[in-house]
Amino acid sequence: MLPPSLIRRVAAQELKWLKNHAQNDAHILNDLVRRRVNGEPLQYILGTQPFGPLNLLVRPPVLIPRPETEHWAIHLSSLISPTPKRPLSLLDLGTGSGCIPLLLCRVWPKGSLRAHGIDISPDAVRLASDNALRCGTPTPTDPEAHDANTFKPVLASYLTSAFLDVIEPPFDIITSNPPYIPLHEYQTLPDSVKNFEDRGALFGGRDGLDFYRAIARLVSQKGVLSDDGLVVLEVGHDQADAVSRILVDTGNAFKIDIWLDPWGKRRTVVARKETKSIF
Amino acid sequence: MSCTRAWVLRWSQGAKVHLQKLRSPKTTLLPHVLTRLSSTFDSHSHQTIEQLEKDGSRIIQIVKKRIVEREELLSQIGDTVSSKEDIKRAKILRESENLQEAWTEWNKTRELLQETIPLLNDPDPVMRSLAADEYSSLATTFSEHISTVFPSLLTPVSPTANLSALMELKSGVGGSEASLFLTNLLRMYQRYAHTMRWKANIVASNENEGGGTKDAVIEFEGKGAYDALRWESGVHRVQRVPATEASGRVHTSTVAIVVLPLVEEKESEELFSMADVKVEVMRARGAGGQHVNKTESAVRLTHIPSGITVSMQDERSQHQNKRRAFQVLSARLMDAKLIRDVAARRDTRRNLVHGADRSEKIRTYNYPQDRVTDHRIGMSTTNLTSVMEGEGLQEFIEALQKHHHESIMENMLDGS
Repeated sequence: MLPPSLIRRVAAQELKWLKNHAQNDAHILNDLVRRRVNGEPLQYILGTQPFGPLNLLVRPPVLIPRPETEHWAIHLSSLISPTPKRPLSLLDLGTGSGCIPLLLCRVWPKGSLRAHGIDISPDAVRLASDNALRCGTPTPTDPEAHDANTFKPVLASYLTSAFLDVIEPPFDIITSNPPYIPLHEYQTLPDSVKNFEDRGALFGGRDGLDFYRAIARLVSQKGVLSDDGLVVLEVGHDQADAVSRILVDTGNAFKIDIWLDPWGKRRTVVARKETKSIF
Repeated sequence: MSCTRAWVLRWSQGAKVHLQKLRSPKTTLLPHVLTRLSSTFDSHSHQTIEQLEKDGSRIIQIVKKRIVEREELLSQIGDTVSSKEDIKRAKILRESENLQEAWTEWNKTRELLQETIPLLNDPDPVMRSLAADEYSSLATTFSEHISTVFPSLLTPVSPTANLSALMELKSGVGGSEASLFLTNLLRMYQRYAHTMRWKANIVASNENEGGGTKDAVIEFEGKGAYDALRWESGVHRVQRVPATEASGRVHTSTVAIVVLPLVEEKESEELFSMADVKVEVMRARGAGGQHVNKTESAVRLTHIPSGITVSMQDERSQHQNKRRAFQVLSARLMDAKLIRDVAARRDTRRNLVHGADRSEKIRTYNYPQDRVTDHRIGMSTTNLTSVMEGEGLQEFIEALQKHHHESIMENMLDGS
């Protein structure tokens, strides 16, 4: 439980952002505050959310980008520096607003990244496309794509491998912030999450790990992940070990790393596929 | 006779050209020069030149020294600038070109003044009056060289001339009234920035529940912003009847301002090492991640060696707050460095303005008297509205800058 002084400070801060958004129109502000009091997330009311250097559109019910995701995406962008000479191919599973690939497209050198994102939700694919346009990131078939970083959102499920006919493997990097909330925690989610954001982007099955198993199956398929390929997965507050095990159990030679989020939670499981040793 | 008149007229034209060349268009005739001119035009006038030279003897000495050094350099430099030393000499020569020009002009003015003196006693009254006009304008040029032109040319280029500024404002005594005044000051600086063509951007602000702004951080992007606004550091005092005060009693409230130099991101690397900065997110977040969609973007930095902490919460993303916080941290460290540098050169001794003590009351805004007074230079204006609209502020800032240059000069004179 937070001390009341902190709650008041946060409320004052939110009110300031809402006021700013209402441009001092008292009627509009009144309406915005009413929506917020009803539990609607601030981000949906304001319609945008900053994500690293980007300012992305957010629309219900597509998952709002979280600071934990922003943190690891920025960290990833600083660890690798691809070049246009040898551009990287990236696949984002359950891309939502498109925040992860769009951030990398912005930060990495021009022409060094070809990213795809798939999502089962048409709302998400539409939002990701709108965000790509907003960020000035073209799709590979756009005329201005030849020397730019590209991003293409595709409507598809990653529970089967049918999408691989449309998006050509292998991938150098596979990223995902898959639904990871287990059943027993789903019940106790705050209303602003449970009543407004897409259940399909949150609920990870009984134990919250269903989608990690699907991702492990996918990356184990021959030719999906390139040699030295990287898998970067956001996980729930207590899932880092379980997800690491799922990846190791695929029988691939993965070197596992776990990154902490700004609050000290083991938030990101990073697996590098190791090329088979000669010995 | 007619021949002499022609002389005077020619000088007159010459003097006009001189005056146009002057850097400051505002010419203030020295009162004692005028008095002397109006009484008698004999030996007293001659004394005036001597008096002026005596008053400005130290600065004239410095200029003379520089000119001699310049001539020595000129004789040393080869016909073709080739060696490393030659390039260095050429650079120094180029830098002192303006001083040489001003020196030549001042000496010419001096000569002309000497030649005008006999004409002040000419039997022809028309001639006398022409000569008097001529004399007074030449004397102005002469004294302005000493008071303004030479000092501005001798003053070294400010090392912070290109820096943008970050201004922190905090309401002090006076409760809500101080917060209301802080809002007035914010507007004043925004308007001033507009006339200076700087970009003013409010980085952080906290509203006061009873109206006004409790504290704020504002960024001024543009060349010269720091050098102009640095004089605003200190306590600003307002005296007025608050809008909420029923009895009509005048209240005194204060706002404390600190102006910091903004450094480019790449330069800030020299100010601290990342290993010395502790980055904290301000709140516990429970499970975090997908479980929570509350905006929790507040960040606090602690620079361990100096103990400086910076908190930032106004932006909606942690990343942006972190960037902002690092900007403020760099500015504070740069500020500390500048203060250290100044102390090391020990040239603050005579400088009343750039005291490191920021708890000092520097300016009073008195509404009932429609008056603004700067306590450091004893300057007052009776047009408070003009100051609050940003225009009048410029006069204060210019006066403070001038004062600063003069104190640099005085230190230079003391050191010579």
